[in-house]
Amino acid sequence: MSEMVVGIADLKVSNKPDDILTTYALGSCIAVAVYDPMVNVGGLLHYMLPDSLLDIGKARANPGMFADTGIQLLFKSCYSLGAEKRRIIVKVAGGASILDNTNYFRIGEKNIMALRKIFWRNKVFIDGEDTGKNCNRTVRLHILDGKVTVKCSDGMTKEL
Amino acid sequence: MIEQILRSIEQIPAFPTTIFKVSGMLNDEDYSVDALTEVIKFDQAIAANVIKMSNSAYLSPSRSIGTIREAVLYLGQRNLLKCVQTAGVSRFFQTTGQRQMATAHELWEHSVAVALMSQILARKILKREDERLYLAALLHDVGKIVMGEYIYESFEMIMDLVTRRGYSFLEAEEEIIGINHAELGGMIAAHWHYPQEMEMALTYHHRPDLAGDDTTTVWLIHLADQICLLAGITGGMDGLAHRGVDEVMKKFSFYEKDLEVGMLELVEHLQRARDLVGIVAG
Repeated sequence: MSEMVVGIADLKVSNKPDDILTTYALGSCIAVAVYDPMVNVGGLLHYMLPDSLLDIGKARANPGMFADTGIQLLFKSCYSLGAEKRRIIVKVAGGASILDNTNYFRIGEKNIMALRKIFWRNKVFIDGEDTGKNCNRTVRLHILDGKVTVKCSDGMTKEL
Repeated sequence: MIEQILRSIEQIPAFPTTIFKVSGMLNDEDYSVDALTEVIKFDQAIAANVIKMSNSAYLSPSRSIGTIREAVLYLGQRNLLKCVQTAGVSRFFQTTGQRQMATAHELWEHSVAVALMSQILARKILKREDERLYLAALLHDVGKIVMGEYIYESFEMIMDLVTRRGYSFLEAEEEIIGINHAELGGMIAAHWHYPQEMEMALTYHHRPDLAGDDTTTVWLIHLADQICLLAGITGGMDGLAHRGVDEVMKKFSFYEKDLEVGMLELVEHLQRARDLVGIVAG
């Protein structure tokens, strides 16, 4: 087993059965895990913000920062390893919020909305999801079989 | 349990006086390089970390620094002070017990992130950096270090209130333990005979609205803390279970977009500041 760490605003793809793609410390950020079971190709993205229009220069240098540019690159990178859209399984986690009594600090919710819009527009279904709430999450994608686990800061671990 | 916790404040090592000495000397425009070098060298723990940190990409990308004298000469006043502050404060995060709600290292990473974020905000909002704010931000969660020693047994009860009953982590701490980590931090600041401003900043960092007048430092730490929580750099099992005080946005004419830009900047700063986080072993 070898762990490949996906940093914040980063993405990695793999077709090596030994690899486990891991991303730590998801707050309002979102992890998107995609997997094609036919060719055992998977990828994991950890994006921070919903929309690359915020800073197009930064998005170009680092597409993984934003939902739109990150998801596009994630799928393309998996295609280049032989994955096909019709077979891809998509699981998402993150988008937590702080307990505010206001309309500010809603980056988590906006991140979830952005993701739904992008997948809706591209006719992609979300096959497993653990989003919202107030916990910090760690997400792992096993390239061997596509298993995705989410560990919450409150100590709970679940499989999506 | 409260008495026990309060008694343990007495056990906390003294605050490194080197930080105040260096800060005082740097305030004098005509400071002597030799005198400053001597003061820093005298505190061996700080000196070793200052050398390590001064070679980080964050502080001096252009040259390699091998001695304290070179650090004093080449870092510049502002970065030298930051370096001494960070190196000095890091010693309080070296306790590595199992009986803690967060590892000391996670808490340190969060503290450095809030300190960096406080300066990003200070540059935007105050149009300058602020060394006192940086130090207060580094220390804002120091109460958790003491709390962590005691919270273990009560931890499940606290998390139950948070996950099932909608309490914030702070409210749950108050209900179960009788005191929260922020108040405890303020008491530690008082134990160190810190300026009142610092004590207030630690005590009210989750409730800046209760801190009274002239409390820009408290509000900036609150905002910096919220942004780090959103970015996932939360430092412990409390995760994002904290309340944001929305007045902070109006106070600084800050909008959602500014928060997002702040998060982007924070991540970039953190990538260059790995060494600042790395100076605490274990």
